[in-house]
Amino acid sequence: MASTDIATGTLERHGLSDDQLRAIFRNMLLQRQLDNRGFQLNRQGKVPFALGSEGHEALQAGAAMAFNRGLDVLAPYYRDLGLCLGIGLSPYEILLSIFARASDHNGGRQFPNHYSSKAAGLMSFSSILAAHLPHAVGAAYAIKYRGETGRAVLATCGDGTTSEGEWHESMNFASIHKLPFVMLVENNEWAISTPLAKQMAEPQIWKRAAGYGMPGRRFNGFDPIETYAAVKEAMDRARSGGGPTLVEGTCYRYLAHSTDDNDMTYRTREMVAERRKQDPVPAFEAVLIEHGIVTAGDVAAMRKSVLDETNEATDTAEMQPYPQPSDLYTNIYEGAWQPWQS
Amino acid sequence: MSTRKSELLGFERHGLTDEQLIAIFRTMLMQRTLENRGFQLNRQGKIPFASASEGHEGVQAGAAMAFARGKDILVPYYRDLGLALGIGLTPYEVLLSLFARAADHSAGRQFPHHYASRRLGLQTISSVIAAQLPHAVGAAYAIKFRGEEGRAVLTTFGDGATSEGEWHESLNFAAVHRLPIVFLCENNEWAISTPLALQMAQPDVHKRASGYGLPGAVVNGMDPIACYAVIGEALRRARSGDGPTLVEAKCYRFLSHTTDDDDRTYRSRDEVTARRKDDPVPCFERLLVEHAILTPEGAEALKRSVLEEANDATDRAETMAYPAAGDLYARVHADGWEPWL
Repeated sequence: MASTDIATGTLERHGLSDDQLRAIFRNMLLQRQLDNRGFQLNRQGKVPFALGSEGHEALQAGAAMAFNRGLDVLAPYYRDLGLCLGIGLSPYEILLSIFARASDHNGGRQFPNHYSSKAAGLMSFSSILAAHLPHAVGAAYAIKYRGETGRAVLATCGDGTTSEGEWHESMNFASIHKLPFVMLVENNEWAISTPLAKQMAEPQIWKRAAGYGMPGRRFNGFDPIETYAAVKEAMDRARSGGGPTLVEGTCYRYLAHSTDDNDMTYRTREMVAERRKQDPVPAFEAVLIEHGIVTAGDVAAMRKSVLDETNEATDTAEMQPYPQPSDLYTNIYEGAWQPWQS
Repeated sequence: MSTRKSELLGFERHGLTDEQLIAIFRTMLMQRTLENRGFQLNRQGKIPFASASEGHEGVQAGAAMAFARGKDILVPYYRDLGLALGIGLTPYEVLLSLFARAADHSAGRQFPHHYASRRLGLQTISSVIAAQLPHAVGAAYAIKFRGEEGRAVLTTFGDGATSEGEWHESLNFAAVHRLPIVFLCENNEWAISTPLALQMAQPDVHKRASGYGLPGAVVNGMDPIACYAVIGEALRRARSGDGPTLVEAKCYRFLSHTTDDDDRTYRSRDEVTARRKDDPVPCFERLLVEHAILTPEGAEALKRSVLEEANDATDRAETMAYPAAGDLYARVHADGWEPWL
């Protein structure tokens, strides 16, 4: 992993404490566990749909550590399970979303894995690619317009989204107005079934930053510490009035796009197996053990606690009631206002 | 003018003959005359609207000279009077558009200055900013899909259009598929009333090209010879299968956006006056006279012939009939099919 200085053998930790490094790792384990849980529940016929985020754990846990809870705003996309966990969403809240229960934040109306949390500063997700970016830029504009300091918006998207017009319009608007905005691209090389080479002629997305007059940077998204450093630098710049940044983290999508997709129709098992060698979860585990930050026993205990927490969240969420048909018109306007009633 | 700076080294004409240089100058004169004619007719109450292109004569006449008639396709925007003239549209056709007469190519249905000509490979013009770019890319895709060689699409837009999502989607798609297309940005520093600094954080549009994996080029849009050379090279690259190019021509818009706009509400007279020293029409005239490609008398004769042609076109177009109300449903579907009947 790039974070280990080859010459000295010391870990370049960018100021992260042992506790923070362990928290990042636990977040990665929890994301992997919940990600798989979604697929399991779907195959059991218990949930209609779930999205795959395996391979994004390091990128998301590292970025989440650079997010200031209570101040920053997160405008993620639908593959950001780990980012949401990392800024404070609980496994129970994730499961309520996947099960579409009444006590979910949106009353069970949204797609599975499409969370939102006013408390966490987590904007509601869009299934439509890039549709959230003008919203994210709007939130950043509001921060600047109100004269608030020390706050920034972190928006994420995949590589496919960079081909959308809204992506460009958002980047351009953010750069003109020097908004407190960070555009984090999680480049996993697949836009559902479209490979990167059919998505763009220049595969290094960060290079587009210069055209907008903003800084751009690429980092290894399999390394959570490097991710943290890159995203933190961009967020600090945004929070202090230095304007937006485009950061690109390279990663890989190990699973199918979602439970409704079969990736073996467009890529080979060998291709995926080859990339599995870089799997960020075991790789980061090895780094932490190597540097004495966790023992093998600690890791086993963490895995057990993550599994227990996931199982309990699954059982509790599954027991919750579905939304009632009579609730259909709630959660649309504030209070009980129903303008379509006379 | 960059070509003037090289006087001591000789006159860089990029292979253009005297006749071609004079043809470029005549297109510039015709554009200036017809452009002013549009404003005059509007102020006389004879036509509802005209858009302005003063300051774009150099880039448009130069670009038109690089266009291969009968092969290439032009997908322009609404400020491309000179480009349309340069590829063969007649002053009479321009005036029919301005007067919205029945004999116009769109039968008087389109906005003034929104020409179209199947004969010339001139796609119909969109008023909606950047809406023409996916169409242009589609035409380039068709050329590639059919395996046609030696053809390219030239599409143009202003600096404001670069902020539209369609602009981005079009460049990206063209780059991915290495399509035979040239994107020409006529950067005149004003998107109606929005100055460049409020339109983009980084003022050099051509610098965006590398992010798409495309070559980018910048050229002095007041210099028709330099524009011919740079756009010609980009078109040759496109025609020979080497993919798209983003070319940025730096020019200036001397008049209001259109006859419906008053630019005094958002920019000073001093700013416009200062830029007039670069006016491409007198600059190019001086260049041609200095290099004895044209005599002062020859220039005067050209101006007279352009004015006479413009006057004649105006008089003829004005006497033509408006479309008849009974024709309302014609030209919607082919062959008179009217599915709503």
